Amino acid sequence: MKIFLITIISLMMGVSAQAADATTWLEPTETTGNAVRPDTIRDSSNDRNIILAALKGWQVAVGAGLELGGASPVPIPRSIRQINSFNPLLNLYLEGTAYKSFTPRWGMALGLRFETKGMKTNANVKNYHMAIIEDDGGHMEGGWNGPVITKYRATYITVPVLATYTFSNPRWMVSAGPYFSLMLNGDFDGYVHDGYIRTPDELGENVNVTHATYDFSNNLRKFQWGLQIGGSFRAYKHLYVNANLDWGLNGIFPSDFNTISFALYPIYGTLGFSYLF
Amino acid sequence: MTIKLISALAASSLLLFSSCIREEALSPECDITSVSQEWLNSKGAGLILGTPVIKQATPASITLFINKKDDRVKALNPQFTISAGATLLYKDNNTRVPFDSAAYHDFSESQTYSVRSADGHFTKDYVVSFEVPQPLDSCDFEDFAYNNNRHQYMTLLQRQEDGSVNSNIWSSGNAGYNLTGMAASPTDFPTSFVSGGHKGLAAKLVTRSTGTFGMLTRPPMPIAAGNLFIGTFNLNKAMLAPLEATRFGLQIVKGEPLKLSGWYKYKAGAEFTDRNKTVDASRRDTADIYAVLFEVDPDNFQSLNGANVLSSERIVSIARIANPGEPSTWTYFEEPFRPMNGKTFDTARLKHNGYAISVVMTSSRLGAYFEGAVGSTLWVDDIKVTYK
Repeated sequence: MKIFLITIISLMMGVSAQAADATTWLEPTETTGNAVRPDTIRDSSNDRNIILAALKGWQVAVGAGLELGGASPVPIPRSIRQINSFNPLLNLYLEGTAYKSFTPRWGMALGLRFETKGMKTNANVKNYHMAIIEDDGGHMEGGWNGPVITKYRATYITVPVLATYTFSNPRWMVSAGPYFSLMLNGDFDGYVHDGYIRTPDELGENVNVTHATYDFSNNLRKFQWGLQIGGSFRAYKHLYVNANLDWGLNGIFPSDFNTISFALYPIYGTLGFSYLF
Repeated sequence: MTIKLISALAASSLLLFSSCIREEALSPECDITSVSQEWLNSKGAGLILGTPVIKQATPASITLFINKKDDRVKALNPQFTISAGATLLYKDNNTRVPFDSAAYHDFSESQTYSVRSADGHFTKDYVVSFEVPQPLDSCDFEDFAYNNNRHQYMTLLQRQEDGSVNSNIWSSGNAGYNLTGMAASPTDFPTSFVSGGHKGLAAKLVTRSTGTFGMLTRPPMPIAAGNLFIGTFNLNKAMLAPLEATRFGLQIVKGEPLKLSGWYKYKAGAEFTDRNKTVDASRRDTADIYAVLFEVDPDNFQSLNGANVLSSERIVSIARIANPGEPSTWTYFEEPFRPMNGKTFDTARLKHNGYAISVVMTSSRLGAYFEGAVGSTLWVDDIKVTYK
């Protein structure tokens, strides 16, 4: 965890430094007063840049929190009859954010977030169309009737680019804007059991299946984007409490992936805190 | 605290999702699932042999076997059970009209019934026919048909004594292999009929890999042995209980069978694998060719299946090549029917259709248990059952 934190802070500082002004970097000195162990970043010149960023109107925060949600079709198709269980899994994020104010109210926030998204669902479906194509030429297609257990877990590097608005009570701030994610690794697998597949199509026939696994991990989309909207409350001088909704605008699978006949949009709520330097 | 928070949020998201569950769509299923047992027991009693053969894959059909030419088939009103919510129709001169359970039809020619799905989007036709099965003497493997699925495979037709061909005598596991989508052409299936026979075409049975899909089921089904048998293949059970999917035997016994003969050649595949696809270098694949005669209750036909085809107490006699070896050229075989279970053939029982017979061929003797070698190839031609 500590490694992640330091990595993310360093990365974030790199971003903020570039955002500040690359031509006015100062030589590194020993001056530092923030919570980051200075010996880990002494040579990076980033500590000076924080100060510089602050002078130029940039502020920097690091934060962490939980993400809860799932990858869901919108709207839920009629083939999904019942959600038997839903486990959001424990998804964490670590984020560095650089803020800049343009007016007393308006500003922008540029973030760099390391996050996991996941869920585990058990749903009963009827005539849930699937067409599975394997590398060795195997091809199975039909409508599944029965329980489907799905586990999705992926790690992303995400860059949100947000407009911020600070209320007249300056403790409150809202933000909104797009985010862009690159998947570092991801799993999407599961199994079906005790049901039947109607194959190859509606005119075909029903084939009972006791248990069959599937793994679409290799089909997950690498690049995702969506909208992030949320708010921050400045609880203490340096401490913000943040809540956001991240709404994916492309599915977690590419559009030419027809195994699942509908797109699964990642929709996550996040709740966390951040420390403002 | 964190756990509580997660649980609370999870519960609320579940609620949220559940509230988004929409009204169930009407079913697209449009099957005749069975011929009404009640009808079979009443109208069918003494007329119908065995169990009706329902082929669900298009072109769908239902075949009812009858003992002998019988005028009763000129006016019958068979009753069916169909998919829930669907509508049963009768095709009258190419016009589908609502099914009338009191309407009698002439089954001297086949009749067509249709089922329209509850959602109204799909309609499937079933050709329903009554036929007199003719005793099986021999098969030269010259006649076959293609099914018309996405991936076409071959079905063996039996040329009968009156010159007609019958598609309901022989079955194979091709329909099961079709589920894997591994075959790009009809000859990629485990069972096909190709030139190069002892005379003309021959049956070519090849043990195939089921690929990725075969390993995704529990238990895994890593191979599909080429097989060909008298009886029916129940695709519905192919993944659930594969031993029960192969239903051996039909009531097409002509007399007391004396011997099974024919021509074959065989080559075992290189690597013998067990049911988990683990290579066992100490074992070598073997073919199997046998015929089994068994007793049936004419009013309550029960086929043999993969689990008991060689061990059932109902078996009267079996003709089997004990050790087929690996002849690389066409080789003649002749095996006598050897009595089993202390039973003897009873002509009186035959008169009441109390016997059924199956001839079974496979490229991997333990293929039903998914043990064998991919590539094992059995060629069979001009098979014959000699009756007393």
